Amino acid sequence: MGKTDRITERQLRVLLFVSLLSPMIRILPSAAVMLGGRAAWLSPIAAFAAGAALLALTRALRKNAPEGLGLQDMAMLGLGPVAGRVFGVLSALWLTYYGGFLARSAAERLLSTVYPNGNTPVFIVVMLLAAVLTASGLTKTVSRTAEVLMPILLGVIAVVLVFAAPDISAENLLPVTYRSWRDILYGAAPIFNVTAGFGYFLFLRGHVTAERAVRPTAFPWLAILSLIALAVTFFTLGTLGESLSITMENAFFMVIRNIKVFGVIERVEAVVVAIWIVTDFIFLTSILMIVAEIWKTVTGVKRRSFFVPPTAILSGAAAFLTARDAFEFLRLSEFIVPAISLAFTVVLIPAVMAVGKLRKKY
Amino acid sequence: MKRAVFLSLAVCLALTGCSSGLTIFSNYRRLEMIELVRTVTVDAAEDGVNVSICGTAGEKQEARMYQNTGPSIGVAMNELTLMPLGRQAILSHTESMLIGEDAAKTRLDEVLDYVERFSEMRLDTGLFIVRDGTALDLVSGVAGKETPAADVVAGLAENMPKVGEGYVFSCREIAASLSENGCALIQCVRGEKEEKLFEDRGDLNIKPAGFAVMLPDSTAGYLTEEETLGAMLILGKYESHNLDVPVEDAVLTVSVDLVKPKIRPVFSDSGELERIRLELELQSNLVSMDGLADLRDEKLRRKVEEKLSELMGGALEKVLERERTLGLDFLDLEGICERREPIKMEDMPQRWEDIFTALPVDVSVKSVLMRTYDIIDPPEISGKEEGSPWEKLTESLRGS
Repeated sequence: MGKTDRITERQLRVLLFVSLLSPMIRILPSAAVMLGGRAAWLSPIAAFAAGAALLALTRALRKNAPEGLGLQDMAMLGLGPVAGRVFGVLSALWLTYYGGFLARSAAERLLSTVYPNGNTPVFIVVMLLAAVLTASGLTKTVSRTAEVLMPILLGVIAVVLVFAAPDISAENLLPVTYRSWRDILYGAAPIFNVTAGFGYFLFLRGHVTAERAVRPTAFPWLAILSLIALAVTFFTLGTLGESLSITMENAFFMVIRNIKVFGVIERVEAVVVAIWIVTDFIFLTSILMIVAEIWKTVTGVKRRSFFVPPTAILSGAAAFLTARDAFEFLRLSEFIVPAISLAFTVVLIPAVMAVGKLRKKY
Repeated sequence: MKRAVFLSLAVCLALTGCSSGLTIFSNYRRLEMIELVRTVTVDAAEDGVNVSICGTAGEKQEARMYQNTGPSIGVAMNELTLMPLGRQAILSHTESMLIGEDAAKTRLDEVLDYVERFSEMRLDTGLFIVRDGTALDLVSGVAGKETPAADVVAGLAENMPKVGEGYVFSCREIAASLSENGCALIQCVRGEKEEKLFEDRGDLNIKPAGFAVMLPDSTAGYLTEEETLGAMLILGKYESHNLDVPVEDAVLTVSVDLVKPKIRPVFSDSGELERIRLELELQSNLVSMDGLADLRDEKLRRKVEEKLSELMGGALEKVLERERTLGLDFLDLEGICERREPIKMEDMPQRWEDIFTALPVDVSVKSVLMRTYDIIDPPEISGKEEGSPWEKLTESLRGS
């Protein structure tokens, strides 16, 4: 790992946080309400508990791992060079596809919300182009960008939620009783799936400097992410009710569309679209960096940036070929892609780390 | 590398629409080239649907109206948005949609679908049904030379709950109610020809005409003025209104300003839903008095309060009866009961659909007359009549 491309624990967490905001805002609240019904606004609490447990497990598994090792290094160490490389190739292929899926998802969302007559390929190409340029640079550049953008993103979300508050109706949020626990857990599944995405960022851990003064914990960031999930679900469900929240693919956006600032300023959704684009861009850049990082470790090539353009081209191809239209894409994003992502982050990654631990490689 | 970044940014700039000439994809519109729409009407036509848009008035510019007919709302609107004299109509600030009675019967779900799906429209757009005429006639009839129809409609929408004559439900509320209760209430209006008292108004005056009970593809019925008031009280959409209460030799005009409805389901020991208890607490204030009534007399005040309870209770009874006869839970009593007693409602052996039309509802209204504002007594009582409370009080003070 080059000495120049070092980031702090905090920077990694901010990068992770800003990146995961993208799928969080995308899937919520429709996916959670579809599974959890009216009680879904409490699901982020359950999702936080599950996410914290996974985080604790991951930390326990890499407790004695040498510093400066990313997940791919750990896999090669724990599974051996061949199995480790197989895991690396598998992860790189999946994440390349996932990057394309993200780009397509961002483009589809722009089309269905603000640019009805827009052109999907243009959005995909522009976003990938920007991501390639950034991902070809240093990890710390992207992390610093996320650090700078984070307060703006949180500020905008907070302001937007304040002005959306008057439309909330308690009737849409109740009744919720102790019997709703099953619904709450069902609704937590898609939220947990997003938060579990921190597993992908373990591939970048090799860049983190050892700062003993900083407590190596991501729990507060997980808590803030869950809080945002709770706010988004609460506000959308409270404003639109259960049936409309399920019917609409971008229900949170519909809430934003209705916001009036002091009865004077209307249609502030452009600000929210900017948030989406920023978070999509950071996540896509991170994915390209992660894939390039994996290839770098697997092949032993020293320059990570060498792998970024080919990955982006493949991701672009995946974005175009993954679905013929929005209907096919919806089917993919409702079950298949989240299921594979969950299998990767909750099963495969901890399993690979556990094997290394059991073999006492770290 | 820097050159590559610069070139990429230049390409991206061309794609954004921030330049009017070079742009590849542009969503940019110049201000003078757009027509900002505030009101949309939808009426049934022989070959489909007639839609119209009403723009906004500017300085030295009257509000313009445009109409078009097409087989569906989407098609008619698509052509219409490009028609306004080279301008492009923008629907993003549409405040209200008015649907003609005939179109509402068959095209309500299409209207809501259009609003939900089309990215320019907002779900908070208020929806009206126009009775006894077309929406286009009403909107064009109420507009004055410098007063656009949108201002007239917006004023009506804002003031209706304050006079107890209605409430404009938004597309969001209507769509949610249709989806969850199978029916929804929509505010009706009608145009009435009245004498033109000032120049800048149209030939028609827009008047509230109660709620319509709508199904996705048909009209279930229309509520009377009294039933509409009852529905507003139960649904918490009521703000205030004045009504005359005759007592003894006087008619008191009372403003009912604060209403607290409490709805509770009552269950038997075996867990069956037996009845619903509806309690309404009203706070009222005296606005004016025709005749003489000494409101220092507590008995008289109780009389006024009883009479008030009777009048408001009547409105509640009427709308509850209408809900039973229509067999539609447009008041969302099931939802209210579920929120009040979620466990018992879930455990009850009966199905709501089977019982609610025969379910007894005990209505009780409690009114309190709070104040008479600045006038304690009419001058006739305190100043002229012998033995008035004011006179007695003055005498006793003098004596002490």
